[in-house]
Amino acid sequence: MVTPKHILGTFDEALASLRNNVLMMAGLTERSLDRAMKGLFQRDDDLCANAIADDEEIDQLEKQIDKDGVDVLMRFQPLASDLRRVVSAMKLSSNLERMADQATNIARRARKLNQHPPLPELELIAPMHAHAMSMFKDSIDAYVREDVQLGRAVVPRDEKLDELNRVASRRLIQRMAEDPDQLRGYLNLMFIARHLERVGDHATNIAEDAVYAAAAEDIRHQPFVASA
Amino acid sequence: MESAAIIDPPMITPVSSPQQQVASGSEPTAAAPERPPAFEVERLSIFYGEKKAIENVTLTIPSKMITAIIGPSGCGKSTLLRSLNRMHELVPQTRIEGKVVFAGEDIYAPHIDPVVVRRRIGMVFQKSNPFPTMSIAENVLVGLKLNGVRDRAFLRERLEQSLRMAALWDEVKNDLHKPGISLSGGQQQRLCIARAIAVEPEVLLMDEPASALDPIATAKIEELIHELSSNYTVVIVTHNMQQAGRCSDYTAFLYLGRLIEFASTTKIFTNPSERQTEDYITGRFG
Repeated sequence: MVTPKHILGTFDEALASLRNNVLMMAGLTERSLDRAMKGLFQRDDDLCANAIADDEEIDQLEKQIDKDGVDVLMRFQPLASDLRRVVSAMKLSSNLERMADQATNIARRARKLNQHPPLPELELIAPMHAHAMSMFKDSIDAYVREDVQLGRAVVPRDEKLDELNRVASRRLIQRMAEDPDQLRGYLNLMFIARHLERVGDHATNIAEDAVYAAAAEDIRHQPFVASA
Repeated sequence: MESAAIIDPPMITPVSSPQQQVASGSEPTAAAPERPPAFEVERLSIFYGEKKAIENVTLTIPSKMITAIIGPSGCGKSTLLRSLNRMHELVPQTRIEGKVVFAGEDIYAPHIDPVVVRRRIGMVFQKSNPFPTMSIAENVLVGLKLNGVRDRAFLRERLEQSLRMAALWDEVKNDLHKPGISLSGGQQQRLCIARAIAVEPEVLLMDEPASALDPIATAKIEELIHELSSNYTVVIVTHNMQQAGRCSDYTAFLYLGRLIEFASTTKIFTNPSERQTEDYITGRFG
């Protein structure tokens, strides 16, 4: 069903502007993560530098969304779905900003790794990257389409990312013992794995906020129930 | 809730001090299923001549909580409110179907005296209406005097208690002989609330009690409503969504005389079940 417009046109415009800024921020964050990971896999310092540079614009968008959100609350006193949308937009922007910080961290670690010969253990990072980005994209899709089912489905996928991170950490610690000359490199990979694991956490938060925005349902911090 | 029959006017007894009342009153909670109902409205329809103002409304209003009635102009909010103490009958050619059960009795039963109903279920109107020829004190005590109370010490005590409960005592205690209409709009409205509670009703019905007041006077009235809810059942009609959200524990949404939704205020204002409610409270009603 199509949601009817508000009687007050400026209210619709303010909500649309808020949403557009969130979507722009999500796009920039995805690009920043993509550049950071390509910088790592393709050993391209320029892409790493671009990823780091993206962070400034994303930080500014976070401030803009917070300002616009407060402005909407003050001017229009939104209720029901409008209120949930404003609150969710402000929470999304905070999670996106932290994701972009993870992209910056990854890019910085990648630049350090690029100064040395490639490590075959990089292969441990690739599946984590794919899984984290898939969670991120689906969480944003859930928000954009107000798709409660998709939002719900994202949350348990974080378990797999956590497990991939544990596997990578164990393997890298083992390699540190076997090959202490590459200790710094393995440590950088461990940090990158950790940053991707955090990206998954933020994607989970976004998915939870998407469910709240669409259905007013708080699915955070629910006890994990193993599937039968 | 008292179980005394409506046909027996309640004894007029001194109320406890405001301090005692605040101390003994329980804090309102969002969900209070254990609260006994103050009103049970059953399949209520109200007609003004041929026009049906209220259509088949059924709802249970909990006691000692604040219930807000919201809806667009002409939806029947005031009619529903006034039907809770038969005040709507003052309009000619009024007819009702259904029941309004209060204190275990249908207030529309043939043996029920509407004057007694209105004594137990007080009302505050949109426009403050102190009696223009009466002083502040006379305005507060008029109900008691009409009921034959003559004990001067008791009247003096009730005057102070009512004005204190209406959060007006400190502002008028040295001007009790001055005309009620000499007060500001917000003070006049609190004077009317003091007048309503002086006869110790069990319920206060409020029809947009702050719609003509500035934000400070409105805040005082809202604070007062909150304080009163520990001792009284309050039903308030308001056009102000934020006021309903701030003040009430439960909210009823009416549209074209029908009850569309009745739920906790938190539920109504964050996640209403009905699309019509959502459209109205978010300003999408065309």
